[in-house]
Amino acid sequence: MTRSLLVISRQAPWSGLSAREALDVVLAGGAYDLPIGLLFMDDGVLQLVQTQDAAAVQQKDLTANLKALEMFGIEDVFACGKSLAERGMFPGNLNIAVRQLPQEQDISELIDRYDHVITI
Amino acid sequence: MATLHVLSHSPFADSRLTSCLRLLGSNDALLLCGDATYALTQATAPLQALEDRVNTFELYALEEDIQARNMTVPGWVKRVDYAQFVELSIRYDRVNTWL
Amino acid sequence: MAKRQQKARIAGFLLSSAWEFFIIAGVSLNEHPMKFAIALFSAAHAPSSRRALLFARAALAGGHEIVRLFFYQDGVYSASANVVAPQDEQDIAAQWREFVSENQLDGVVCIAAALRRGILNEEEAQRYQRASANLTAPWELSGLGQLHDAAQSADRLICFGGP
Repeated sequence: MTRSLLVISRQAPWSGLSAREALDVVLAGGAYDLPIGLLFMDDGVLQLVQTQDAAAVQQKDLTANLKALEMFGIEDVFACGKSLAERGMFPGNLNIAVRQLPQEQDISELIDRYDHVITI
Repeated sequence: MATLHVLSHSPFADSRLTSCLRLLGSNDALLLCGDATYALTQATAPLQALEDRVNTFELYALEEDIQARNMTVPGWVKRVDYAQFVELSIRYDRVNTWL
Repeated sequence: MAKRQQKARIAGFLLSSAWEFFIIAGVSLNEHPMKFAIALFSAAHAPSSRRALLFARAALAGGHEIVRLFFYQDGVYSASANVVAPQDEQDIAAQWREFVSENQLDGVVCIAAALRRGILNEEEAQRYQRASANLTAPWELSGLGQLHDAAQSADRLICFGGP
């Protein structure tokens, strides 16, 4: 019986290693063909800002990792609508395609669909 | 399907409690441990936020943290030790620790 | 398999009924043995590292199994062999080592997270020409595949981190 895992990524792209290491968990799961979901919420949605320039702060550009999600078969990628709106972001101008969850209830229902959850 | 959410950050320094309360489902539970037990401090906004939702989810607090902080907690908070923490993690379908 | 679990299983076979076994062993009547995967994200000095250890001990005491301990992010620091705790304080890094050894558990430290944070075993210290190693048995360095493997085997994945 294959168990599913939801990773909730809540940190901004360069606030330490959290964003990077959350993505690593997801991509590793994809490499093993496991059912993995990824939800960006709170500051995690800031990873989705378009045209970031990580080189300006000599940090790792996570956009390549985000674009790799699709290649690794990770299709269940979500973003909290309220977190986006709070940060002046809109589903139309993000660096990857995500499914927007407009209500908090959508998030608790999403969590309910997975066997395990890791909130980084 | 129900989730046990676990918090350990102080609610005064951090937004995890607020975010968690937003998405707590009606069958979910919340376990406060470490500095998150400060949310039970009398006459504070976090306690009020919890009290407002008192009948919508199960609220637990880790006994050792209440004791360490010499807190007086309301009767509607269920205090648990580690054996009970393990039981809770089994009773609920999954555990979501807000790291 | 941990010694306590072995003893519990033997006791179970010897007693005439499962009911008596549960009452005598003090196991909650609501539970059958569960498989836990425990992931730690914080250093030995963090309260959450001690909390994870106490939870892990309680899980075994409750007759459950720990399929793997996986140390990720700052959790790799909880596996450091070089932590020096003051004499009048808890040495959580040492207690983790003892816990894993005594119960013959699978203690895995994520290699990518460890390297980034300067936690290296002998092999990696040699590979990267670093002055010394600070990760020893019972800890193994391995990849995130081990976290996923543990999550596949476990009934519950519990994470500990932060304060």
